[in-house]
Amino acid sequence: MSMTGERSTRTVYEEVQDSAEFAQLRSRLRRFVFPMSAAFLVWYLAYVLLASYARDFMAVKLFGNINVGLVIGLLQFVTTFAITTIYVRYANKHLDPAAERLRRRVEES
Amino acid sequence: MTTAGAVALGAMLLVAVASAVIGAIGVRVTRSTSDFLVASRSVGPAANAGAISGEYLSAASFLGVAGLILRDGVDALWYPVGFTAGYLALVLFVAAPLRRSGAYTVPDFAEARLASPLLRGVCTGFVLLIGWLYVLPQLQGAGLTVTVITGGLLPAWTGVLAAGVVVVASVALGGMRSITFVQAFQYWLKLTAVALPALVTVVYFLGDAREFDRPAPPQFPSAASVDVRTDVLLDVRVPTDLVATGRIDGIDVRDAGLRWEPGLHSAEAGSRLGFTEGSSVPVVAGTPAADDAWLTPFPEGRENGLLSTYSLIIALFLGTMGLPHVLVRFYTNPDGRTARRSAVVVLALLGGFYITVTVLGALSRLYTPQLLVNGDTDAAVLLLPTAVLGVGWAGVAIGALVAAGAWAAFLSTSSGLIVSVAGVLSTDVFRRGRVRDFRFAAVLAGLVPLVLALGLGRLDFSEAVALVFAVAASTFCPLLVLGIWWRGLTDRGAVVGLLVGGVLSAGAVTVSLLGVGGDGALGVLLYRPAVVSVPAAFATMVVVSLLTRDRRPADVDQILLRLHAPERLGLSRDRLADRERRTLR
Repeated sequence: MSMTGERSTRTVYEEVQDSAEFAQLRSRLRRFVFPMSAAFLVWYLAYVLLASYARDFMAVKLFGNINVGLVIGLLQFVTTFAITTIYVRYANKHLDPAAERLRRRVEES
Repeated sequence: MTTAGAVALGAMLLVAVASAVIGAIGVRVTRSTSDFLVASRSVGPAANAGAISGEYLSAASFLGVAGLILRDGVDALWYPVGFTAGYLALVLFVAAPLRRSGAYTVPDFAEARLASPLLRGVCTGFVLLIGWLYVLPQLQGAGLTVTVITGGLLPAWTGVLAAGVVVVASVALGGMRSITFVQAFQYWLKLTAVALPALVTVVYFLGDAREFDRPAPPQFPSAASVDVRTDVLLDVRVPTDLVATGRIDGIDVRDAGLRWEPGLHSAEAGSRLGFTEGSSVPVVAGTPAADDAWLTPFPEGRENGLLSTYSLIIALFLGTMGLPHVLVRFYTNPDGRTARRSAVVVLALLGGFYITVTVLGALSRLYTPQLLVNGDTDAAVLLLPTAVLGVGWAGVAIGALVAAGAWAAFLSTSSGLIVSVAGVLSTDVFRRGRVRDFRFAAVLAGLVPLVLALGLGRLDFSEAVALVFAVAASTFCPLLVLGIWWRGLTDRGAVVGLLVGGVLSAGAVTVSLLGVGGDGALGVLLYRPAVVSVPAAFATMVVVSLLTRDRRPADVDQILLRLHAPERLGLSRDRLADRERRTLR
C-alpha cells in the first residue's frame, strides 16, 4: 500500500497535530476512557472478592429467593449499560464539539 | 419421532430457508467487493445494532449460558456479564479509532499501523485460528440441538453437516450486505425464542409452591428416565432409589432396583437411570449439589474460585475485541460516531437477551433437573418448554420456536465468522480480491471447522468459548490497544507479543484439555490462562518495542492522528476504496 499520497499532505497533518484543539481532544478522550475502564474493572473484581470473602453478607436474604449476591450480580449488567450511556453522552457533549472546532480550523487554513 | 420433534425440525428448516431468502434478496443489491465484505458501510445504526447482536449471540449464549446457570448457579453469572462487558471494552478502546483506520480486518490494521508483511502474516494466522475455533462449538451445538429435539433419533453429525452447508452456501452467495439483514432478523428471532418461554415459565413458577433456596438437592418434578451419554461421577446427598440399566458403580446391571447411599456413584456411558417423582437429583460431582450452595458464590469444593473467576473475567472482557466477526461488523458503520451509537443499542439488546437466558437457566433447575445427572446441561433451554407445558400444542409450539432460535444462533454466528475468515483468506492468502475468490474462500473457510466438528468430541460450550476468548484476549487485544494508544509500538514488538500471548494461552488450554494440571492453582491457570497470558503479551510487546525503538514507523504521528481525529477532517482513508481504485486502473 503506497503511503506517498499522504506524505505530500504532511503540512495539514503537522498543523492539526500541533494544534491546541487536537491536544485537547486527545487528552479529553484519554482522561475519560482510562479512568472509566479502571473504575469499571475494579467494581467487577471487587464483586468477586466480596463473593469469596464476605459470604455471609452476600447470602443475606432481601426477599423470597433473592439474596444480596444475586442483586449485585445482576447490577453488573446495569452498570455496564450505564457506563456505555455515560460514555456516549460524554462523547456527544465534549468530544464531538472539540472535533467540530478542529474541523473548522483546518478548513479555514 | 415425536410430534414435538417433527414440528421443531420443521421450524429449524424454516429458519434456514428464511435466512437464505433474505440473503438472496440482498444479493441483488450486492455489486462490488466492498459491498460484499462490509456492506459498503451504508447500513443504518439500528439495523447494524441488531446485526451485531444477532451475530454475537452464539450457541454459547443461546444454550450455553442457561446450561451453566443450571449447573453452577451464581458463579456462572460471570459468563453473560463478561460477554456484555466485553462490548464495553471494545467501544471504549477500539471501535471508533479502528473504524477511522480504514482497515477492515486485523491484518489490514496491523499493516496500516506498522507496515510489516511478517506481522500481517502472523495476524492472518491468528484470525484463522480464532475464527475456526469459534465456529467449531457452533456447529457442534447444531448437532446437539438436532439430537435433543428428535430424542436421539437423528445423530449429531446430521445437524453439524446441515448447519455447515447452509452457512457456507449463504455466505458464498450473499456476502455481508445480505448477511446484515439476515443477522438483524435472527436477533429478533433469538430474543423472541427465549423471551416467550421465559415469560411462560415465570408465570408457571409464580403459581407453583416451589422455591429455590433449600439446603437440599433439587427434586425430580415427575418420573424421569436419564440416558447417560458420557461416563459420569455423581454426587448423592440423600439416599435415593432408582432403577438402572448399564454399568453402575463398576457392576453391570439390568433393570435393577438400586438404593444409592450418600456419597459418590459412577455410571458409564450407555447407562439408563430411572427416578421416581419427588426423589432427589444426584448431580455431576464437582458442581453444587444442594440448592442453597448453588445460590451462593464459590460453594464448597471450589478452591481457587477467585483465581479462575478473575481469569475468566479478563478473558471475556478483553477477548471480545479480538473476535474477527465482531470487529469487522463495526466497519459497516458509516463513521465513528454511528459506531458509538450502535454500540449503545447493542449493549441494551445484549443485556436484555442475557438476563432472559439467565432466568431460563435458573428455572430449568426446577423443571429439567435430569440434565444435572448426565451433564447435558446445554440442552436446558431446548427441553424447558415441553417440561413446563407438557406436549400439548402450546408446549410443542414454544419448543419449536426455541429450536428455531437455537438454529438461528448457530447460523448467525457461524456466518459472521465464515465471512471474516473468508475475507482474510481471500485478501491475504489468495491475494486477488475478486468476488469469485471470496466464494472459494468461503467454502474453504467452512470446510475446515466442519471436518473438525465431525472428527472431534464435543466440548461444553463454556470450555470451548472460554478457550477462544482467552486466545483472542492474549493476542489481538494487546495489538489493538497498544497499536491505537501507544506510539512506541514496533513491528518486532507486535510479532513477538502476539506469539507469546498466543502460544501461552492456546498451549495452556491444550495441555489442560489433555488432562494435565489437576485441581490446584496450576490446573486452574492451565485451564483459564488469561490472567497470566494477557499481561505477558502486553509486557512482551512493550519491552520488545522499547528494545527495537529504531523500528518505529516514521509516519507514526500521522497514523495516530488519523486514528484519533474525527473523520470529517477527511484524514481517514478508505482502504477498500483505494483497493478498488487500483483494480480499476
